[in-house]
Amino acid sequence: MIERLLPAASTSATEIDFLFSLIFWLVGFWFVLSEAIFFGLILRFRKREGRKAQYVTGELQSEKRWITVPHLLVLVCDVFIVFFAVRAWHQVKQDLPTAPTQQVVRVEGAQWAWIFTHPGPDGKLDSADDIRKVNELHVEVDRLYHFQLTSRDVLHSFSVPVFRLKQDAIPGRVITGWFQPTKTGEHDVQCAEICGIGHGLMPARIHIETSEQHAAWIAANSTVSVAAVAGR
Amino acid sequence: MAETIPVGHAPEHAHEHHEPGFVAKYLWSTDHKMIAMQYLFTGSAMALLGGFFAYVFRSQLAFPGMSVPGFGLVSPNEYNALITNHGAIMIFWFAMPVLIAAFGNFLIPLMIGADDMAFPKINRLSYQIFLLSVLVLFVSFFVEGGAFGGAWTMYPPLSATAEYNQTPLGTTLFVTAVALEFVAFLMGGINFVVTAMNSRAPGMRMYDIPIVVWMIVLASIIFMASVGPLVAGAVMLLFDHNLGTAFFDPKRGGDPVLWQHLFWFFGHPEVYVVLLPAVGIVAEIITVFARKKLFAYKTVLYTAFGTGVLSFTVWAHHQFIAGIDPRMANVFTITTLLISVPVAEMMFVYIATLYGGSITLETPMLWALSFIATFLIGGVTGIFLGASGTDIYLHDTYFVLAHFHYTFVPIAVIGTFAGVTFWFPKMFGRMLDDRLGKIHFWGTVIPFNLIFIPLFVLGVAGEHRRIWDFTQFPELSAPWMRDLDKLATLSLWVMLSFQIVFLVNFFWSLRRGPKAPKNPWASNTLEWTADSPPPHGNWKELPTVYRGPYEYSVPGREQDYWPQNVPN
Amino acid sequence: MGATFSRTLGAALALAALAAAPVQAEGPDGAELFQLCAQCHGADAGGRELFLAPNLTGLPEWYLLGQLRNFHAGLRGMHPDDTPGLRMFAMARSFAGALADAEMQAVVAYIAKLPVAVPEPTFTDGDPAKGAAFYQVCTACHGADGKGNQALNAPPLTAESDWYLLSSLERYKSGVRSSDPRNANAQLMRGMAATLPDEQAMKDVIAYIRSLGAAQASAQPAP
Repeated sequence: MIERLLPAASTSATEIDFLFSLIFWLVGFWFVLSEAIFFGLILRFRKREGRKAQYVTGELQSEKRWITVPHLLVLVCDVFIVFFAVRAWHQVKQDLPTAPTQQVVRVEGAQWAWIFTHPGPDGKLDSADDIRKVNELHVEVDRLYHFQLTSRDVLHSFSVPVFRLKQDAIPGRVITGWFQPTKTGEHDVQCAEICGIGHGLMPARIHIETSEQHAAWIAANSTVSVAAVAGR
Repeated sequence: MAETIPVGHAPEHAHEHHEPGFVAKYLWSTDHKMIAMQYLFTGSAMALLGGFFAYVFRSQLAFPGMSVPGFGLVSPNEYNALITNHGAIMIFWFAMPVLIAAFGNFLIPLMIGADDMAFPKINRLSYQIFLLSVLVLFVSFFVEGGAFGGAWTMYPPLSATAEYNQTPLGTTLFVTAVALEFVAFLMGGINFVVTAMNSRAPGMRMYDIPIVVWMIVLASIIFMASVGPLVAGAVMLLFDHNLGTAFFDPKRGGDPVLWQHLFWFFGHPEVYVVLLPAVGIVAEIITVFARKKLFAYKTVLYTAFGTGVLSFTVWAHHQFIAGIDPRMANVFTITTLLISVPVAEMMFVYIATLYGGSITLETPMLWALSFIATFLIGGVTGIFLGASGTDIYLHDTYFVLAHFHYTFVPIAVIGTFAGVTFWFPKMFGRMLDDRLGKIHFWGTVIPFNLIFIPLFVLGVAGEHRRIWDFTQFPELSAPWMRDLDKLATLSLWVMLSFQIVFLVNFFWSLRRGPKAPKNPWASNTLEWTADSPPPHGNWKELPTVYRGPYEYSVPGREQDYWPQNVPN
Repeated sequence: MGATFSRTLGAALALAALAAAPVQAEGPDGAELFQLCAQCHGADAGGRELFLAPNLTGLPEWYLLGQLRNFHAGLRGMHPDDTPGLRMFAMARSFAGALADAEMQAVVAYIAKLPVAVPEPTFTDGDPAKGAAFYQVCTACHGADGKGNQALNAPPLTAESDWYLLSSLERYKSGVRSSDPRNANAQLMRGMAATLPDEQAMKDVIAYIRSLGAAQASAQPAP
């Protein structure tokens, strides 16, 4: 359902979209049913001359059934939703998959920009060939990425809507998460936690590239970075 | 309506021995009705201010860079201050003072047959401190650097470090105002509980207390039990911001997430603190206008109690992605979804109450019914956010915003209009105009839905909150999204302009409306046995209670209502 | 009872209406746009060290506009370690759409007309005598009197806060404020700042610049 409005470009996006649709149809059913009964009763029991309202206490078992049965059914739906919610959550936030080809990128929130550190040609962070970019993240499609998320000052929230991914960045902590892009393209990266007057003015972009494009980008940028690192 | 209730006292205002001076009347009066009216009018004025703020920032969102008539250009820092204060005002300075303090003060003594609150002077002090908090908040708008703009949730380090929020004085004053406001409601809360438990009319047993009184009492208990950590947190925040302590500063060993726990441990029960009084008001109204006994009185009471207890165990669903241990999310998903059971049951009870009724649709009834119809939307959309998996995506989007407006607008706005239109005859001794009331109702409820249904869609499409200008984001700049934003804003303009109808109706009726009889709605509860408006002391002779509050359409009785104070 | 209440609310409404007095303007209004700048730079544009915001007064319109355009175009403030630059780069994004440049011109014109603020010194351990020697390389562009030279894009230095001059010299030297090869003036300053061996030398030259300013503003008591 979400993908009609926004493309899904990561492996976990499908799981979250499924959960969203599941909840939509379940609660949608209850919602439509309740509203239909509600408006139906209002129409059915409008005041009419010569008809007195009924005296129903709702204390008898036979009467209470009309609310206890739906409420048990709601409970059953809840159990169902909890199961799928925990499954999606486990996949995205608790699980940290690894792969031989995985890459690590560092994401730092700052007032008011995202700073992304990509590993250079050697594929490792914290080496001289790292590529640091402001508001620009480059990743390769189908490759597993771990991100190390932190903040330099206040809370930020690293949000990539096409990945259905969001995680707060907390100063003093490094939070590790993962994503695996499934489609190439260029998309928004947002800050989803208010971080001061420039909160709305730090839009970043994620570039999901094929392996050839990505290798070309690294080659074009790592030398500049080497010079910048040496100059520091 | 027929005046058939024998109350046995003369209409003279026995307690008004002399006309007190202005200061004595408005600053020191301990009459619960005067304090209730002061809360009502202060809270409503704050709601107008909060509505004005919404008008300004919604206009900026729909038409970025527009010079908003009545305000001017909205810069990013002003935008943040406007949304922050809109949220804080609507919850702390409108919903709470009106729903709990105003209706609690007005209704509790009148509905339980008491002449005043148990502690009238504490009651007075509570309003004075509330007023002080309003003044402190006002001052924060005009100090150097301007008003605080770090959201009503005040997450540190932004709110704890002047270097980051750029509003040193505004932040201090904002946090101080919030803390003062809590102190005021702590005092009000203890008063409500003690009064309802100890000052009831002879014969009024626990299950004879009207639901709205129960709800306000339960809300007060929840509030008092939850607010302690937040007041402590607010003081810690002020210390961090002004004295250089490091409770929330990670650079010096503090933890910013600690604040989120303190805030939401209060903040989520707070939702139920304002929900319960509104639910109570709705119970009073639908029973009267459906001429029906409330379906399963005790079940309503127990579900409200269950909701209250459960509300203390769900707070971290606001923090799923805030950096808490991910395993915790599973626990809070379960508790959060569990709370849907009592809340859904409450709604089922109300729907069941309508069954077999003889329903008339006067203005108060329209408001009460629209509460149920719209709150259901707020309820079902909460499931998406309580489920941790979908919350990853929906957190801090417009979906969240639309969800809580679908709970808070029915609670605060619709609940207030329901209560005011229902008790207006008792409060002011005159009737409101029903025709204007209905115009105002439709002019409010239809645009309300047209504001927030588009925002649900925008939220699902990834539009995130507290953003000054969405055209900065290529994916959020799609024409259909900008058009939905414009639709929401235009609907807000319409909704706000229809409030003029209410103000006209209110002030015209206050002076020119037809005189209200004692019991215009043929209701059972005790407040309708007092004069309209009730004099100081409420009754000459305090009433005695013989039965529960919802004995409508009892078989074998000629009248379809049976007031609580009538012996047989 | 009702009448007095309506009076109370009437007064509240009047207050609200007062706060909402209409403000309309033709074209970009520099004073109104300056609201955003004032958050960090102060209502007098005199700068706030706590917010890393320099004094904007006493600078010519061409220089302010040039720098603001640099921020807007991403030629300045885009280095990952430029904390104040990243903030200002984000703020410059608030000038968006077709009117962006007209708005920048309007706000700069407003700032240029503000009274000159004299910032308090924040350090006193600079030696102006030693600084005079270092300053020789600066004279070529900024002039012997430190008043700057528009033809060479060199701003006047004497009105600026000392902490900001120090921070700028450090950031030029480390490449943080001179990372973009398209920004020729910043590249030039990077080379110039490299002639200052350490922080003490920077403080000395700033002390000398301050003494130039004090000599010129004889009407004002030297700080």
